Amino acid sequence: MPDLRLTIHGGHEAEARLREVLAREGFRIVEGPRPAEEGVLVVEPDGTGHAHGHSARETARRIEELERTVLELRNLDVAKSQFLTNVSHELRTPLTAIVTYGEILRDGMLGEVTPRQREAIESMIGSCRQLLAMIEEILTYARTNAQAIGLQPSAFALEEVIRSVYDMNASLIERKSLEFGSSLPPGLPRVHADRDKVAHVLGNLIGNAIDFTPDGGQVRVVARRSPVQEGWIEVGVEDTGIGIDPQHHDLIFQEFAQVDASRARIHHGTGLGLAIAKQFVRLHGGRIWVESGLGEGSRFYFTLPGEDASAARSPAHTGAAERPAA
Amino acid sequence: MTPLVLVVEDSDAIRAAFTILLEESGYAVAAAATGAEAVRLAAEQVPDLVLLDLGLPDLPGLEVARRLKAAAPIPIVALTGRDDPADREALLAAGCAAYLVKPVDTQQLIHSIPGYIAAG
Repeated sequence: MPDLRLTIHGGHEAEARLREVLAREGFRIVEGPRPAEEGVLVVEPDGTGHAHGHSARETARRIEELERTVLELRNLDVAKSQFLTNVSHELRTPLTAIVTYGEILRDGMLGEVTPRQREAIESMIGSCRQLLAMIEEILTYARTNAQAIGLQPSAFALEEVIRSVYDMNASLIERKSLEFGSSLPPGLPRVHADRDKVAHVLGNLIGNAIDFTPDGGQVRVVARRSPVQEGWIEVGVEDTGIGIDPQHHDLIFQEFAQVDASRARIHHGTGLGLAIAKQFVRLHGGRIWVESGLGEGSRFYFTLPGEDASAARSPAHTGAAERPAA
Repeated sequence: MTPLVLVVEDSDAIRAAFTILLEESGYAVAAAATGAEAVRLAAEQVPDLVLLDLGLPDLPGLEVARRLKAAAPIPIVALTGRDDPADREALLAAGCAAYLVKPVDTQQLIHSIPGYIAAG
């Protein structure tokens, strides 16, 4: 009986539903082959090729049913992503008009503006641009989820990415009087990864650290050779902010999660940032996690393949390790 | 003579905003809401610059750019709602002077227009 290779792009929800069906139908899930392929389940009928002692014909029927379920989930997911793309486009057009008119007014093209009027218009434009950035985030998420997006890896130094993310946030860091620092050990190898995606992950983590750290606090980026995985680099973003209750540590990496609604209101965000960061890190075969407690700041870490490990960097292709079905 | 800018944009609100922006900055403006209309106007009036939205209802942006270029050697600035590296490359290869993501910074756009026109 050949293995079934199922690719699920529906996120946690779809994967949970499929696992349920699989368990009911007596299939065994062969995990892997690599953590980077989240959403891929390799499935085989239990035991000797007959699910729960059913006849071969019965097993074939069940596989067929299973394939139908997978197809259904896939269609559902495509529809969901298409919907998000359409909605994003529809939202963006009027926002673009508002921003453009705002700038026309601000620049006095339709008559003199007083300093206070100008301030009000600036605030409107700023809010619109913030909304647009959130829409962009939703689109990124929909795209990442809808198709296996490709990586374009190259070797680069983390310093330059940290620098560019810092530059983007410099005014905010200054406004909040935050102390920003980075500490990378001398001789740290370059990483071999997709630069844009690493910048996105770091941008998200640093952005969160800034958001959730009160004025005058500290945000620090650290990196070191992974103590547990030869050739990998561990990158961290540490802050002295409000921290996260350990019971929420899993939740925050899930899509649309905000630890509590009041926090979401104070701190803008779609609740997609960390879900996207997790997807991007996983695409590299890396891990991402948080160490934190309420009131003691947050320390987010993720791993990336180092340059000198790039040859042996896909634990990926070494075949499937078996684990019992979840 | 006042330079003529052709604004190609299917959203009424954005088209009107660009018309005001350009007129207040000293340009004459022609406007089109579809790719076909844009190609027709470009052939008739030969504008000095085209601001081309890539998300038109009737034709793909790249196709409109090619037809405009075939109609007359006019500089084109492509405007998109969504930054896409492949699109960017294709449009620049098709001869567009720039590929800008909306909402564009209007001050910067107005500042750059003389350069686009001169280079075209």
